[in-house]
Amino acid sequence: MEEQQLRSQMLETFRDVFGDPALVVHDTTTASDVEAWDSLTHINLIVALERRFRIKFTTGEVATLHNVGDLVSLIKKKTP
Amino acid sequence: MKQSKTLDFSACRDTLRLALIGDAATQQLASLLPVLFARQGIRLEVYEGPFDAIELEVHDRNSGLYRFAPDVIAILNVVQALRMRYYERASSGTEFLETELHRITNVWDVIRERNAAPVIQSTLALPVERIFGNYDHKVPDSLYAIVSALNVKIAEAARSRTHVLVNDVEAIASHVGRRNWYDNRLWNLYKTFCALEHLPLVAQNIADVVLSIRGRTVKCVILDLDNTLWGGVIGDDGINGILLSAHGDGESFYEFQSFLREIQRRGILLAVCSKNDPENALKPFLEHSEMVLRREDIVVFTANWENKADNIRRIREALNIGFDSMVFLDDNPFERNLVRTLLPDVIVPELPEEPADYVRAISELNLFETSSFSAEDSKRTELYRQRTELEQTQSSFASVEEYLQSLDTEITVGRFDAKRIPRIAQLFQRSNQFNLTTHRHTQVSCEQLMGDPECYPIYAELRDRLGDHGLIGIVIARHQPEELFLSDWLMSCRVLGRGVEQFLMNHCVEYAAAHDYRRIIGEYLPTAKNAMVKNFYAQFGFEALSEAQDGSTRWRLDITAYRPTKVFMRAVVTACAIPETA
Repeated sequence: MEEQQLRSQMLETFRDVFGDPALVVHDTTTASDVEAWDSLTHINLIVALERRFRIKFTTGEVATLHNVGDLVSLIKKKTP
Repeated sequence: MKQSKTLDFSACRDTLRLALIGDAATQQLASLLPVLFARQGIRLEVYEGPFDAIELEVHDRNSGLYRFAPDVIAILNVVQALRMRYYERASSGTEFLETELHRITNVWDVIRERNAAPVIQSTLALPVERIFGNYDHKVPDSLYAIVSALNVKIAEAARSRTHVLVNDVEAIASHVGRRNWYDNRLWNLYKTFCALEHLPLVAQNIADVVLSIRGRTVKCVILDLDNTLWGGVIGDDGINGILLSAHGDGESFYEFQSFLREIQRRGILLAVCSKNDPENALKPFLEHSEMVLRREDIVVFTANWENKADNIRRIREALNIGFDSMVFLDDNPFERNLVRTLLPDVIVPELPEEPADYVRAISELNLFETSSFSAEDSKRTELYRQRTELEQTQSSFASVEEYLQSLDTEITVGRFDAKRIPRIAQLFQRSNQFNLTTHRHTQVSCEQLMGDPECYPIYAELRDRLGDHGLIGIVIARHQPEELFLSDWLMSCRVLGRGVEQFLMNHCVEYAAAHDYRRIIGEYLPTAKNAMVKNFYAQFGFEALSEAQDGSTRWRLDITAYRPTKVFMRAVVTACAIPETA
């Protein structure tokens, strides 16, 4: 998948999960930068991304994510 | 879950306080539940206990749980938490099982001592691992055998405790299938006990139980005939042409009828609404050897060529129940849509094209949730049939008095007692229309009323020449310094116009006089359904005191001005009805 396309699909999912249609995230964005991003919405985000890209994260992968950039490269690695 | 942030509660007439405590994460359930309740017009306030602190919350009198003063307490015990304790066990599996059961029942019993709220206890999903394979069942020490046994024991223990109801999580997990149910990553990271996509089912299950406690129950199932109760069209195919048999190609319909008969035995009324000539429609009931349902199982039978919405209105009038307590089953999408459009409160499930799937499709909707079951339920069809019969004889009498006298009615009035509590609590839950204040007392609060010396809680039972109507009325009078206050007054609509309310008011006035009260205060709290009793107190000469913004009114009767109404029934007032106090 083109990186551009992947990023725009990710953003759509973020906006959907956090209920903010104007949300903008960067590679350096972390949970503390987004008000609605708490432990509860984090699970929703992970599961929503899994569904969107038809992939499964492992527990270890989820545990080592630090920012949006980590998430982008992880999804890139897992999608054909 | 997203919807919970933008919920509009303006249409909610009712508030409910639900406490959620568990040994798994409850946040997702806590955000789903208000959405489900808002759809039913109830604003839900949720209290979430700290994670894995069931016992702490329950034993500490000052815990957040008790400070919240919940109306209902939902307890979630999950297999993942049980498994961790199982791995650490120091004793045999059998002892482990007993300890776990005791932990759970002890929590219920402590809650019972400190709070009147009903408890909704989860069962546990069966684990995926089978250490002994199929032999697991034969080894009582295996986790698999322990969880199976624990679920059975939870159910058994709940049977003897009226305040405990079951949230059957294992039933959901097995319906979904365990390989889909579990997402152990979510457990490891966040203590979420199943895959996110199934949490709405668990939330809905809890909501169904809570709503049944609050009185939302289905009372009547209305059935189409052709291609619903049998295959084919009786008017075209004739008695020998329709599909209906215990074996073979008519078996789906035989099974469906058997299922409906169980529903009927469980206390839900069956009615027929069919586009047919009446003689044709009745024919299978009278002549077909494989019919499971008999004519006498149907309380109201309508077969004509008018539109089904009008017929359902007629059925509703005959039974005197709300549209929202009726389910309409019809194989024809046109009829379903017509009823949905014209009578939006009637529950109209989609039926699959394949009749062999009817039972499954209906069961998946969990339409028949209840929070009680009493002997009276199984007699309900008979009671309603007597009532319809009554209305038919009524017209042949010259005067109402003459008619009432001919019935040879006997009314029994007494203070609440233990053996009647289940039926009393049930009437509190079910009665919507003839209900002045609609306080939904639970079994537990009824038991408390039973022993309260400042309170006079009475029931009324009615029987006559045509049969036993059972417990049909409840009044609660409360002693106040200056006056007797009628906080609750409700009756089953099937005995209206018989003089029961007049008898009870005479009785209340006598009681007030015997206790040196000069005044009785009555109250009316409006709901969507009880407009019929808006002026109930006016007919007895009560004077209106005040009307609040929400339409609730207070009424006062000076008992010296009260003229007892003549009633046509023999009274059996049990000895304890007017206790020798004062």
